[in-house]
Amino acid sequence: MSYEPLVTEFLGVTLKNPVLAASGTVGFGREYETLASLSKLGGICSKGLTLNGSLGNDGPRIYETPAGLLNSIGLENPGVGRFIKEELPFMRSLGCAVIANLGGHSEIEYIKGASLLNDAEIDILELNISCPNILDGGMAFGIDPKSAADITKKVKAKSRHPLLVKLTPNAPDLIAVAAACEEAGADGLSLVNTFLGMAIDTKLRKPVFNNVYAGLSGPAIFPIALRMVHEVCKAVSIPVAGIGGIAAKEDALSFLMAGASVVQIGSMTFAAPDTMAKLVDELYDYCKLNALENIRQIVGIL
Amino acid sequence: MAVISENIEIAKGIFKMCLSGAPLGEAGQFLMLKQPDSLDPFLARPLSYCNIDKNSGTVTLVYQTIGKGTKAFSKLKQGSLMQAVGPCGRGFPLVSGNAVLIGGGIGTAPLLLLAHALRESQPERHIKVHLGFREEAYLIKEFGQYADEVSVDIGGIITDAADFSQAAAYYACGPEPMLKAAALKAEKAGAELYISLEKNMACGVGACFGCTCKTKGGNKRICKDGPVFNALEVHDVL
Repeated sequence: MSYEPLVTEFLGVTLKNPVLAASGTVGFGREYETLASLSKLGGICSKGLTLNGSLGNDGPRIYETPAGLLNSIGLENPGVGRFIKEELPFMRSLGCAVIANLGGHSEIEYIKGASLLNDAEIDILELNISCPNILDGGMAFGIDPKSAADITKKVKAKSRHPLLVKLTPNAPDLIAVAAACEEAGADGLSLVNTFLGMAIDTKLRKPVFNNVYAGLSGPAIFPIALRMVHEVCKAVSIPVAGIGGIAAKEDALSFLMAGASVVQIGSMTFAAPDTMAKLVDELYDYCKLNALENIRQIVGIL
Repeated sequence: MAVISENIEIAKGIFKMCLSGAPLGEAGQFLMLKQPDSLDPFLARPLSYCNIDKNSGTVTLVYQTIGKGTKAFSKLKQGSLMQAVGPCGRGFPLVSGNAVLIGGGIGTAPLLLLAHALRESQPERHIKVHLGFREEAYLIKEFGQYADEVSVDIGGIITDAADFSQAAAYYACGPEPMLKAAALKAEKAGAELYISLEKNMACGVGACFGCTCKTKGGNKRICKDGPVFNALEVHDVL
């Protein structure tokens, strides 16, 4: 029998390993295919999609911070239709699970987008109700338990794909939002999206970003993300994808021990493109060294 | 992993770094450079090739210490390792015929490899270089190796010196107001002008959409579709 300690069942999908590329950090895979050895991963999440596409935000979009970065991309994307036609075949060819991340500005946009994705061969639909960088919709749906549950229920009713709901750490009561999404039929939760932050150009005496606030990611947020994942895993019984500032093996192991079934790596890929592939090897070695039959044996031990 | 073979200050706040083992590229392309294992500065920094010695495989980069990243670079010693991803982006097209290069400040750096490549690809062509600096000039001698004429201006407006009616192609790199002035003059004269743009970048390879600019053909990623663009495509939004 072959030794496959990293094979992970997640939302009914068999993943080679629990290491996924987070939405927005590898585009649709082309640019990082070789640099980040994407075919080695458990899966990749597409750049956040909206029904009709978007040109994204004006003005500066990236601002480095200590051990992290603020971004205000604003969901620049080609739209669901063009994604299915032009990007999905390539993503499929990578040989790992494909997760389509769907954002929206209104309920109807989410529902239409999810319906359109029923025609597409994706493995999981990640519902993005946590983007802080679009002015209407996005994170607004994920702040409040009732609206989060509402959109989750409606999309779940329309979609044939397993539904992963991506939560925002900016919700005043994240645990209530998580529980409401579980109750509404989410098959899993992914958290955290970025934290709202701010940067000021003190020379110009004005905010760096046109939207004033932007999303903070990177190793700087890791301990807070870990605490939130731990809290949510205690409160719900559906699987969780842990996201937030993973830079090294210890960070990924921490998320798993805190209860996450899989992890998503984001910003660190920018800093060191081989981070995810290296992590897959390191987790394999960890299992071997610790005589684990499967990595799931450490999931949620804390 | 590349290794730093030299890292010295060549003018106030301007450093020259030589790397061995870094990926080689074309004029106008760049490397995403980062000290390995450093979380702060977190992101890699895009630096255009300033020159390449194909025989030894040495890459020369010239950079200005402006922010946290470049200041950290300036402290690195010979023998230090450097993570170098690249070659990134699309460089300058080598248009046949006489060329005029216009550089402002640290924007002169990528034009050196361009002058080198233009000379190599067509030894008989005439290459004129206009270099503008705020206080102190640098790289002048190096440009002299490849260019027929090098004019240097300190404290003035470099685009005023350039004549847009004589060459087959024009190339510019420097601060945005300089590029805008060059683009307007080139458009008026019907000249072919290529400009190199820059913006804060996260990935440097076209994945994060952090450095897009608006062009006549829609949004373009400076890191992947550029950094070199035909000025007519983008000048109205500079």
